[in-house]
Amino acid sequence: MGEPILKIRDLHYAYGNGTPALNRIDADIYEGEKIAVIGSNGAGKSTFFLNANGVLTPDRGEISYRGTIINKKNLKELRKNIGIVFQDADNQIIASTVMAEVGFGPMNLKLPKEEVLRRVEEALTYMNILDYKDRPPHYLSGGEKKRVSIADIIAMKSEIIIFDEPTAGLDPLNTQMLEEVLDKLGSEGKTMLISTHDVDFVYRWAERAIVFSQGKIIADGTPLKIFQSEEILKKANLKRPTLMEVYDLLVEKHLLEDTKAYPTSTQAFKEMLGNM
Amino acid sequence: MNIKEKGFFISITAISLLFGILPVANAMHIMEGYLPVGYCIAWGAICIPFLVVGYLSIKKTIAANRKSITLFAMAGAFVFVLSSLKIPSVTGSCSHMTGTGLGAILFGPAAVSILGIIVLIFQAILLAHGGLTTLGANTFSMAIAGPFVTYGIYKLCQLLKVNKYVGIFLAASIGDLFTYCVTSAELALAYPSATGGVLASALKFLAVFAPTQLPLAIIEGILTVVIIMGLETYAKPELTKIGFFGGNK
Amino acid sequence: MSTIALKGEHWDGHTHGDGINHRHHKIRHKHGEGSSIDFYAYASNIRDWNPAFKVSLSMLTLVLSIVLNNPYVSLAVIVAMGYLTIIEGGLSIQAYLSILMIPISFILLGTITIGIDFSTQPIGQYNLHLGFFYVFTSLAKLKIMFFLMLKVFAAISAMEMMSLSTPSSEIISVMQRVHVPKLFTELMNLIYRYIFILIDVNIKMRNSANSRLGFCDIKTSWYTFGKIASNLLIVSFKKANAYYDAMEARCYDGDLIFLEEDKKVTTLQIAKAAVFVSFLMLLWGFTR
Repeated sequence: MGEPILKIRDLHYAYGNGTPALNRIDADIYEGEKIAVIGSNGAGKSTFFLNANGVLTPDRGEISYRGTIINKKNLKELRKNIGIVFQDADNQIIASTVMAEVGFGPMNLKLPKEEVLRRVEEALTYMNILDYKDRPPHYLSGGEKKRVSIADIIAMKSEIIIFDEPTAGLDPLNTQMLEEVLDKLGSEGKTMLISTHDVDFVYRWAERAIVFSQGKIIADGTPLKIFQSEEILKKANLKRPTLMEVYDLLVEKHLLEDTKAYPTSTQAFKEMLGNM
Repeated sequence: MNIKEKGFFISITAISLLFGILPVANAMHIMEGYLPVGYCIAWGAICIPFLVVGYLSIKKTIAANRKSITLFAMAGAFVFVLSSLKIPSVTGSCSHMTGTGLGAILFGPAAVSILGIIVLIFQAILLAHGGLTTLGANTFSMAIAGPFVTYGIYKLCQLLKVNKYVGIFLAASIGDLFTYCVTSAELALAYPSATGGVLASALKFLAVFAPTQLPLAIIEGILTVVIIMGLETYAKPELTKIGFFGGNK
Repeated sequence: MSTIALKGEHWDGHTHGDGINHRHHKIRHKHGEGSSIDFYAYASNIRDWNPAFKVSLSMLTLVLSIVLNNPYVSLAVIVAMGYLTIIEGGLSIQAYLSILMIPISFILLGTITIGIDFSTQPIGQYNLHLGFFYVFTSLAKLKIMFFLMLKVFAAISAMEMMSLSTPSSEIISVMQRVHVPKLFTELMNLIYRYIFILIDVNIKMRNSANSRLGFCDIKTSWYTFGKIASNLLIVSFKKANAYYDAMEARCYDGDLIFLEEDKKVTTLQIAKAAVFVSFLMLLWGFTR
């Protein structure tokens, strides 16, 4: 697998009121990984993201990006290469036209104007919202704002993209749009971290899952492994994906042979049933 | 009553009836184009020292803590939105708070002068309330004179150990009344009465706007108290955190 | 008049909370949204004219109509600005008139206050004896009143030409170019964006309060109003923090710079504007 892009060691962070939000976090992120970050509300996922991007400064521990330890001086390097799509697009969108909004990140990178314009155009085309270019964000719908907030990060060409609960508040159609975008980014080899409460999504999309509970990472491995461990599920208050439940139910009723080969998609499940 | 008198009487009645029905304009913005050019410039010039002090104070706070720029901006947006909310009323008339009194108590009058002029610009551009040539006069009455009086009375009441809520009520309503008096004076200076001069003209304007502005001042006072009481119940930590704004202690 | 206004309230009792849509504003673009002027600015056909050109033309016209103080100039300005906004900009006449009428109560009250005077003698062409004194006005005064109203409408139409065709963010960028202090324009940019966010929050809180009978009588209404306002302030503080984090995450380092599109101004536009301004000056010269 080679060297990790992002290496996090012994990270501690506490908010102003003293309660620790992150406690001894260790994680390595490798290129092209599709990682789901799961855990209940307040488990520390968002705080972890803000630390990983350098907005929050850890109280202890170190983050290295491509072998370089991050300090105050090269902080910008970290922010440039790790983009966050925030949960609430309304807390992210700052400019008054879609074009200026998507250009905000690249402008902060002090790129020449032609390059900024090119990137904006590219990101808007990528998200299929080139028509909205001159529209103000306050006349866009929730789903449209979400697309803008993703285009924001695509225009920055960051190496790792973090999505903080991207499906929250989206309708099924927009959720599907989002998954298509994720697939597209995945097929281009983009490294992605997504926090979510949707275990079915984790099960079908992620290659790796990191489970947070009370500011600690309690598990890190393939979704299949994690969802098979009763202990982890109980500790993190997680449910098992529907597909796994159904599989076990069929095994229990002796309708299916127990090979422990859980299907990862409805399609695979269909094939499995067809082979019987 | 001769014929001319009769006509005059009828038109006055018609006009006053019309006012009873028409929604009342937001606070007391002097309209675009209403002041002669000399007054536009003069009022603008009077505002400048206050604005410079406000600008420097905001700049200092932001230099010390960069994060406060979004807080200042939110405070400005809050004053705008608060002043655009329709106050619940029995008669269905449309009245609004100025919100700058509350702003002065929470953030201090210097910062409010800058936020106030920005709010006034947006009110002119987005809502067609007030205007750009009358910006100086409106800024002086609404973003400087009113807030400074409010803040002064608020501090005085603290010093005299008056009940806090009574103090806030007095500060907000007297600040509102002062704004209304200053606006009337601004109008009177530009349009003195032919027979009685500036003073008579000021009395005319005070009288004409009194029916809407006097109750509004009381309402502003009551609502400011209600809002601060709410803030104290829900937002003790937030209020202590914005201590650098001048605080609410 | 009153029935129309009442009907307006009935249609969308749930939207008048934003307060920005004035009651006599019957034209609405979308449910419960903020300023209609802002909405029209984005929809205007002359939105892609160079903003600096529009702002300068509007300001120059505004200043001229006040400085020249001449009824003919005022009429010419009203016609020309109406033409730009309605014919070139494509705004409906109804919408335009409803926006010009927003300050009507102030204009009427203010102008009449200027027009009438009190005296112990029956002077002026029109007077009315009220016990101890006379209320009077004269033909000359009525003329002044009428001209003043013309001037006010000329000024408003000049200003509205700008605000009905130029989104605020573009106006702010013009201010930046004429070296208004940077912190000031940065605050304006942020405030402009936040206004719409807070309006949204307010509408949601108001609806939820309304659904729980928060506005059942006048006393409750005031309490609810106050509570919503204080909550709005708390929400805005929290959002301010979240916003700053999101800005920093995209490499913001204290300099707020936005991408702008260059909109070219044509020689023809400048020539037309020059002709218009010279026409106003000549008109003033001849009718002085």
